[in-house]
Amino acid sequence: MPHALEAMSITKSYMTSDGPMTVLRNMSFHAAKDEFVAFVGPSGCGKSTLFNIITGLLGPDAGSIVVDGRETTGMVSAKIGYVLQKDLLFPWRTVVDNIILGLEVKGASKREARAKASRLLHDYKMSGYENKLPGELSGGMRQRVALMRTMITDPQIIMIDESYKALDYPLKIELEGELLDHVKGSGKTVIFITHDIEEAVTLADRVYVMKAHPGEIVEEIRIDLGTESHSIPERRMSPRFNEYYDRIWQRIGAPRTVNA
Amino acid sequence: MTMRHSSRAKIGPPKTLPLTENPLARRYLLVALQIGITVALLAAWEIGARTGLVNRFLFASPSMVWDVLVKRSVSGELFEDIWTTSAETLTGYAVGAIGGSAIGLGLWYSRFLSDLSAPFIAAIGSIPVLAIAPMTIIWFGTGMMAKVMIVAFSCVVVSLTTSYKGAMRTDGDLINLMRSFGASRSAIFFKLVVPASMPWVISGLKLNVGFALVGAIVGEYISSQAGVGHMILLGSSNFSMNIVLAGVAVVMVMMLVFNFLVGLIEKSILSWERK
Ligand SMILES: Nc1ncnc2c1ncn2[C@@H]1O[C@H](COP(=O)(O)OP(=O)(O)O)[C@@H](O)[C@H]1O
Ligand SMILES: [Mg+2]
Repeated sequence: MPHALEAMSITKSYMTSDGPMTVLRNMSFHAAKDEFVAFVGPSGCGKSTLFNIITGLLGPDAGSIVVDGRETTGMVSAKIGYVLQKDLLFPWRTVVDNIILGLEVKGASKREARAKASRLLHDYKMSGYENKLPGELSGGMRQRVALMRTMITDPQIIMIDESYKALDYPLKIELEGELLDHVKGSGKTVIFITHDIEEAVTLADRVYVMKAHPGEIVEEIRIDLGTESHSIPERRMSPRFNEYYDRIWQRIGAPRTVNA
Repeated sequence: MTMRHSSRAKIGPPKTLPLTENPLARRYLLVALQIGITVALLAAWEIGARTGLVNRFLFASPSMVWDVLVKRSVSGELFEDIWTTSAETLTGYAVGAIGGSAIGLGLWYSRFLSDLSAPFIAAIGSIPVLAIAPMTIIWFGTGMMAKVMIVAFSCVVVSLTTSYKGAMRTDGDLINLMRSFGASRSAIFFKLVVPASMPWVISGLKLNVGFALVGAIVGEYISSQAGVGHMILLGSSNFSMNIVLAGVAVVMVMMLVFNFLVGLIEKSILSWERK
């Protein structure tokens, strides 16, 4: 069976005033069905660029992206859904109409899409918020709506770019737990991109550690916290948590201390 | 300084705020003062005119202006003029402001076309209405059409540029989100760019209320058989300051009403902005 996602030798540079700058160099990686994969690296190491290349919003200079056995390099694939750091809700659309955006664009019947969205709102314990506007919601609720908007299109791969960065700690923990509840075991692949080592270790089955200038994978770490719990605090209590944390920290944190 | 002051105020015994700091009282006070000042000015003007301190030939008087308004209301003349100017203003506004907004938004589609047209738009925008008004009379005659064109011309560039700016400021991440759903360019335009630009479009529409009314009156100054501008022009050519000032008062009221109407449109279109 092919991997849900496979990337081969991705290289990307941006043109700057000082000539071309290589942002990503020769990155190869993969993600399996039902797997949570994290990319961890310092700010500016090219995570968002990588994200855009995987989603097909940006083409790489070299290399290829294969989704479910089909090459999709530089193309937007319906199998990939994404959630960004900013919730990016349309402020003029109600919660329900924000959730159905993707279905609406794909030409689905609005009535059916709305019914589906209502069921989703129920699952996410947000019934009754159907006709509210984003401006009336808390940050956590907006982030939930953004996740629902992605989930409703039933993507096989969910890409998450530092979605929980701007949220306060307890809310972040809560949303991370919800992500596990809703997605883990559904057969979907989650690829999330973060500079937060803690988040990577608690959520991921596998972590790719990146360095910057140019962005490259320096280590691949399989994470096994030895628990099936979806509770974030419980996962952090795992005796192996610190070991993984330290190992990634050595890779990311250590060089920076030398530079400083 | 202010910090220390307010923290002390919190600790100490409650003091009654001075009138100018209590928000509600302040508002009433302001309105009362504004009305008072207006009445006082009108009264001074009236008394001055009656006692001869103010030259009635040059400045008329409030009661003389009021008489003009009453007489022309009774004869229906005033409403005819208001109707003529309103029709010119609203039609020209619809063509220029709404048409300009549509073109401005539409330019989002083609970066090439918008770059190509940029200097021409700037050139058209730099022409004062007054400069082309006489020409429109030659082209479109002395009737309503010429005024509509002048009004449209006064509005079109402002609306075009503000709405284009709004369209181009659409958040790139939102566009990417739409692309990730496989949205076509026209789906991105109608579902995202147009609604996201509405605050800009509306700000252009609001700016243009003034330009539109000025355009209609300028058009009437150049050639007209009716309209508030016509009324002002005739008044001044007969040295009837009371008629001129009555016309000016009518223009002020029309401006208020048009602004109010556009405000209503803004409220209904941008209701989401206040949430
Ligand atoms: N469109 C662009 N043009 C030029 N340089 C860019 C562009 N986008 C990002 N960069 C640069 O590429 C590097 C990686 O950016 P990014 O992918 O956003 O990293 P991260 O998400 O890890 O912070 C940064 O140094 C950034 O300044
Ligand atoms: Mg980033």
